[in-house]
Amino acid sequence: MMSDNGYYGQYGGSYIPEILYTSQQQVQQAFDEARNDPAFIQALEQQWQQYSGRPTPLTFCANLTEHFGGAQIYLKREDLNHSGAHKMNNVIGQGLLVKRMGKKRVIAETGAGQHGIATALVAARLGLECTIYMGAKDVARQYPNVFWMRQLGATVIPVTTGSQTLRDALDEALRDWSGSYADSHYLIGTSCGCAPFPEMVSFFQSVIGREVRQQSLAQFGALPDRLYACVGGGSNACGLFLPFMDEAQVEKVGVEAGGKGMALGEHSIRLSHDLGQPGIAQGFASIFLQDDQGQLQETHSIAAGLDYVGVSPIIAHLAEQGQLRMTYASDQEVVDACTLLLKKEGIIPALESSHALAAAFREAGTLSPQQRIVINLSGRGDKDIFNVARAVQDAEFPQFLRSYLSEYPDNLQLASDAGQGRAV
Amino acid sequence: MSTLSEFIRARSQAQQTSERLPLLAMTHVIYGYPTVEASLAWMRRLLEQGIELLEVQFPFSDPVADGPTIVAACHRAVENQPQMGDCLQQLGQLQRDFPRSRILLMGYLNPFYRFGLTRLVQDAAAQGIAGLIIPDLPMERAGQFRRDCAGHGVEPIWLVTPATPAERLASIARQATGMLYCVSRSGVTGQKDGAQQALAEYLSTIRQHTDAPLAVGFGIRRREQVEALVGQADIAIVGSALLEAYNAGGQEAGLALLASLGMI
Repeated sequence: MMSDNGYYGQYGGSYIPEILYTSQQQVQQAFDEARNDPAFIQALEQQWQQYSGRPTPLTFCANLTEHFGGAQIYLKREDLNHSGAHKMNNVIGQGLLVKRMGKKRVIAETGAGQHGIATALVAARLGLECTIYMGAKDVARQYPNVFWMRQLGATVIPVTTGSQTLRDALDEALRDWSGSYADSHYLIGTSCGCAPFPEMVSFFQSVIGREVRQQSLAQFGALPDRLYACVGGGSNACGLFLPFMDEAQVEKVGVEAGGKGMALGEHSIRLSHDLGQPGIAQGFASIFLQDDQGQLQETHSIAAGLDYVGVSPIIAHLAEQGQLRMTYASDQEVVDACTLLLKKEGIIPALESSHALAAAFREAGTLSPQQRIVINLSGRGDKDIFNVARAVQDAEFPQFLRSYLSEYPDNLQLASDAGQGRAV
Repeated sequence: MSTLSEFIRARSQAQQTSERLPLLAMTHVIYGYPTVEASLAWMRRLLEQGIELLEVQFPFSDPVADGPTIVAACHRAVENQPQMGDCLQQLGQLQRDFPRSRILLMGYLNPFYRFGLTRLVQDAAAQGIAGLIIPDLPMERAGQFRRDCAGHGVEPIWLVTPATPAERLASIARQATGMLYCVSRSGVTGQKDGAQQALAEYLSTIRQHTDAPLAVGFGIRRREQVEALVGQADIAIVGSALLEAYNAGGQEAGLALLASLGMI
């Protein structure tokens, strides 16, 4: 989707402090040149193929289809990317752009940790220094990802200000960039932020939808009837939906995090039910969860990657135009959808992706067996083992953890360190 | 020449005969930190000391151009649920009580946007607030805001930085009226050991494009930094250092810092 000078209707733009103006312009120019450079595109596709494992499959789910007795259910397997998530598509693209710009360091923020891992991987591969900001709460929820980032050579900085989640990590990454733009690139992981990031991230992620088009035509001779993607910042949704925007008959469904309830602070629903309001923050105009004084509000989701206060200006615009249908799934629905996929298809989904599964499962039975739906499985669920084990109240998991910890000779000291936030 | 710049010129001339350094002082206070009442008391105290320009930051949950000291204070202030309407009224009262000083309202775009930018300018003018500083509002997107400000006699105050490209710097400087906020170096507020080199050349370049008073901020915390600005700038802005002093020892410590800087 081409923006109108960085705007998508009333959303988007570049609302950044003057100190970032030059850096933003550099990124804009580099991206404009790179996207039209066949050599860059060739290098990008080569990395996608040889490093990340693209194209990812489109998997027919016969058991789930039979279970619901409605539409034929397909999964776009972004979980099979290297690092286990769609994040790799964008990070490879921006990583190559960083090399092109001649910068030597990348800064990133991460919620669930998937973007942080992907950034750390690519930074290692391309020989870039890497600093990752992560909300302290997310660090606690997703420590295995933190561990791998550090092993990859990245510096992980837990952010203890504000709500200690993705939004605070984003603020901190912006502050870092303000002081380091001369040699650093802010590698934004979702289709948010100042122009050109929404456009650029969506450009790199659109490989998802392009492949779905080709694979659908090859595998069942038609385009899908309906597409589902979870929406945190919105990058996997943009990636899946945008190549289908000229096809009105292909319904696009974005699924937000319904969390624990509809009270402010218990969910991350910005677009469904008009719970968010127009605002301008973190460099762009979009819909944000905020109070009547314009203060951004705390959010919640069982999936750290969806726990974001704003949303891509592209998604906000398309939803406003009626080109996307937005809905949400509660934490409980998400866990149920996750476990159903596990048992029926032998696939372990991320909790983020399980939001898309939950909405699709609600609706699949209402469709005819001639219809086909594609759900973007944006990431795999290995990282969520602790949260899922708790959610399904697995009785043996706490015992396993105690047993595992007891094998550390200095387990008491470790526990003490973690409690004081010194674990990372 | 605008009302604000006339005020700055007049006070600058008067300053030449005082014992203070011949620069106007611009101090920064966060509305609502640590409480609304305490912040108003601190503003009043500063104005009693003769601070010419009081910059009041309306707190925002996500102040991306500020450093850790101001960020922490903003988050604390937001917990006190500051109301824009109350803030404007209370600043208006302060302005009426201290007519020899000028109050500037600074804040990030979203709270102002929610309040309504046109309404903000109207209400600020009604309360006698001299200028508005919105660091994440680019001049290119501020057409209506600038027209509103011009229509109501409120100065929009723009920022330039050492990284601002020459052509853009010239453009912004030429359009500055009440004052131009010159960031002294790269980065967010409150960083120590900021590079001061080439500051004279930077300010000299800006001077070529504007007659508006120049205010220099970001990283000012030592007297020699303020002294270095004499003759090059009109106003020294003290933000994070003042907040750190206030946090460490309350109003007295804050005033002691300003005295040590030769600003009161």
